[in-house]
Amino acid sequence: MSDIALPRRRPSYFSRLFEAYGQEIVVLTAIVVLFIVVGLVNPRFLSNTNLTSIFSGNAYIAVAAIGMAMVIISGHIDVSVGSLIGVLATIAGTLAVSGYPIWVAWTVPVLVGIAINTCLGALIAYMRIPSIVATLGMLSILKGGLISATGGTWITGMPPQFFIAQARLFGVPAPVYFMAILTIIVALWMRYSATGRSLYAVGGNAEAARATGLNPERTCVLAFALHGFFAGIAALLFATQLQVIQSTVPPNLELTVITAAVIGGVSILGGTGTVIGSTLAAVLFACIGSALIFLSVSAYWLRAVLGLLILATVLADMARRRRSLVR
Amino acid sequence: MIRKTLVAAAALAAMAGSAFAASAWTGGDDLPTNPLACDGTPGAAVAKPYDGGEPTGAPDRKGKKITVVDVPKLIGIGYFNATSKGIADAAMELGNVEAKTDGPTQANIDQQITFIDNYITSGVDGILFAANDPVAIAPVLKKALSKGINVVGYDANSQPDARQWFVNQAEFNGIAKALIDNMAKEIGEESAFAIVTSTFTTPNQARWIAEMAAYAEKCHPKMKWLETVEAQEDNVLSFNQATTLINKYGDELKGIFGMTSVATPASAEAVTQASKCGTIAVVGLATPNAMKPYVEKDCVKSVVLWNPVDLGYAAMHVLRAVADGDLKAGATSVKAGKLGELQVINGSEILLGAPFVFSKENIGQFDF
Repeated sequence: MSDIALPRRRPSYFSRLFEAYGQEIVVLTAIVVLFIVVGLVNPRFLSNTNLTSIFSGNAYIAVAAIGMAMVIISGHIDVSVGSLIGVLATIAGTLAVSGYPIWVAWTVPVLVGIAINTCLGALIAYMRIPSIVATLGMLSILKGGLISATGGTWITGMPPQFFIAQARLFGVPAPVYFMAILTIIVALWMRYSATGRSLYAVGGNAEAARATGLNPERTCVLAFALHGFFAGIAALLFATQLQVIQSTVPPNLELTVITAAVIGGVSILGGTGTVIGSTLAAVLFACIGSALIFLSVSAYWLRAVLGLLILATVLADMARRRRSLVR
Repeated sequence: MIRKTLVAAAALAAMAGSAFAASAWTGGDDLPTNPLACDGTPGAAVAKPYDGGEPTGAPDRKGKKITVVDVPKLIGIGYFNATSKGIADAAMELGNVEAKTDGPTQANIDQQITFIDNYITSGVDGILFAANDPVAIAPVLKKALSKGINVVGYDANSQPDARQWFVNQAEFNGIAKALIDNMAKEIGEESAFAIVTSTFTTPNQARWIAEMAAYAEKCHPKMKWLETVEAQEDNVLSFNQATTLINKYGDELKGIFGMTSVATPASAEAVTQASKCGTIAVVGLATPNAMKPYVEKDCVKSVVLWNPVDLGYAAMHVLRAVADGDLKAGATSVKAGKLGELQVINGSEILLGAPFVFSKENIGQFDF
C-alpha cells in the first residue's frame, strides 16, 4: 500500500496574514473605504489640512489606547484613564503657568502617571482586587479630587513653548509622530521581546504562564506602569493642543480609549491583539467623526456607529475563536 | 468576515443617506419664537400680571438709610466679584444704602440658605440674591419677606412668589439679535456661516438658535446658514468640529458662531490654527477671560454676553426703588441710575437691556 499522504495545502500568504492581523486589516480597509467614499462626495475631505486634522486630532487617544491595549492584553481593564488624563493635563498646565521650566511641566505629569498607575497595578496584582473595581474607585478619586482641587477653573496663559502638540516637523504635526513612533516601538517590543510576549502569556492564561516560570503579578504591575506612561504622554498631547485646559475630566474619554483598543482587535478577554490595531482604530474614529460632518450627518451617529463597530468586532472575535477551537 | 463588515458598512451608508435630508437650520427647538425688531426698538412686553411676592409689615423706608446684603451663588470668582462691584458702585452713588456681599465659597444651596437665614436673624432691610436652586431657596426667601425684608434676585431666579423682583440679564431674543447683528456686521449680508453648539437638545442653546433663525430670516434674509454641529461641552471636540467645518467649506465659510463658553474659544482656536484669522469671523457667547487672547490678537471682534457690573448695579437700584415704594406691582419700567429706564417683563422681572458686546476696547476691564 502506497504511503502517499494527501499533500496538506499550505495556507496562502494572504490567509496567514489575515489570520494574524485580521482585525487590523478590517480597520485599515474601513479607513481606506471611508477616504474613497467621502472623498468622492466632497474632495475637500482629502485635502491636506483635513488629513492633518484627522491624523493629529485623535493622536492622544491612540497613545492612550496603546497603554490600554497592554492592560487589556494582560487580562485587565482600566476605566480610570480618562480621569487620569484630565488630572495629568491639569498638572502640566498648572506647572507651566506657575513658571516652572517647560521640561518640568512636560516630565512631571508623565512621572505622576507612572506612579499612580504602578500603585493601581500593585493593588490589583497583590491585593487581588478585580481591575474593574480598583479602577472604578480610582476614577471617582481622580474625578472628585480634580473638581475639588481646581473648582473647575480653566487654565490659560501657558508660555508659547509649552504647546508641544502644536509643533510641526516637515509640515506634519508633532502628535502624529508621537502616535506613529510609539505604536511601532511598542508593536515590535510586544512581538519580539520576552517581556512583551509575557503580557500575552499572562493575559491568555495566568496560571499556565505561572507554571512556565512567569510572574503574573509583576507582569500586571508592569502593564499598568507602562499604561501610566502612555497616559502621561496622551495628557501632554491633550493639554497642549489648545490654549485652554478645561481642568475637568474629558467626558467619556475612557470609553473612547477602551473602544479603540477593542475595535482594533484587542480581545476583551485578554491574550490577543496588537497596538497597531488600536492606533488604526483611533484614526478610524477621527475619520468617522470628520466624515459625519462632511456628509452632514448628526454627530450622534458617531456613538451609534461606534456601538455597531464594537458589536461587529466582538462577533468577529468570537467567530475566530470558535474556528480555531474546531481546528 | 470581510463580507459581513461590508454589509454593515453599506447599512450604515444607507442610514447616513437618510439623514442627508436634514435641514441646515438644525439645533433649534420648536417653541414659538419672538424675534426683536431689526433696529434697536425694544421688544413689546407681553402684559402679564405681577406674580412676585410682597413683604409683610415692611416699615416705611422711603429715603431712609437701609442695610442690604448680597448673597450670590458663591463668592471669590470673577463673575460675582463683578456683580458685587456693580452693587457697591450703585450703593455709593445712592448714598443712603449700606451694601455688602457675603456668601458661600462654593456654589452650594445649603450653605447659601444658611447665609441668608443668618442675615435675616441679624436684621437687614434688603436681600439681593442669585439662587443656586430656584426651588430650594424659596422657603428662606419667603421667611425674609414675612419679616418685612425687601427681596430682589438677579442672575439666577427663584420661584417668582419667593421674591419681589428679578433682574433678568438677557432674554433669548435679545442674545439672538446681538449674535446675528454682530455676525452680519463682520462678514456682510450675503455670506455663509455655521454654528458650533453643545447638543441639539440643550435647552438654552436650542432656544437661542431658534431665535437666531427667526431673527436672521426677518432681518438678514440673505445670510446663509450652512450647518449646526454638536460638540457637547468638550474643548477638544469643539476644536475638532470647528476645524472640520473649516476644512469642509473652504472659502465659502465666513463665520462661526460659538453657542457655549466652551465652543466659542475652541472655535477661535480652530480659526487661529488654520491661519484663517481675518477671513473667518468668530462670534459667540463666552466669558471675557477665555476670549482675551483671541480678541487681543484681533482674531475675534465680538464676544456677546451681559455686563455683570451693570447687572449688580441694576439689582441695587431695583432694590432701592422697591424699598422706597417707587416700584410697585403693575409698573412697566423702573429708573436705574446711569442705565436709565429698564423695562418690566414677564410680570415681575426687569430686563437689564441689550446684551453687552466685549471688544478689544473694553475686554481688558473684565476679569471673569
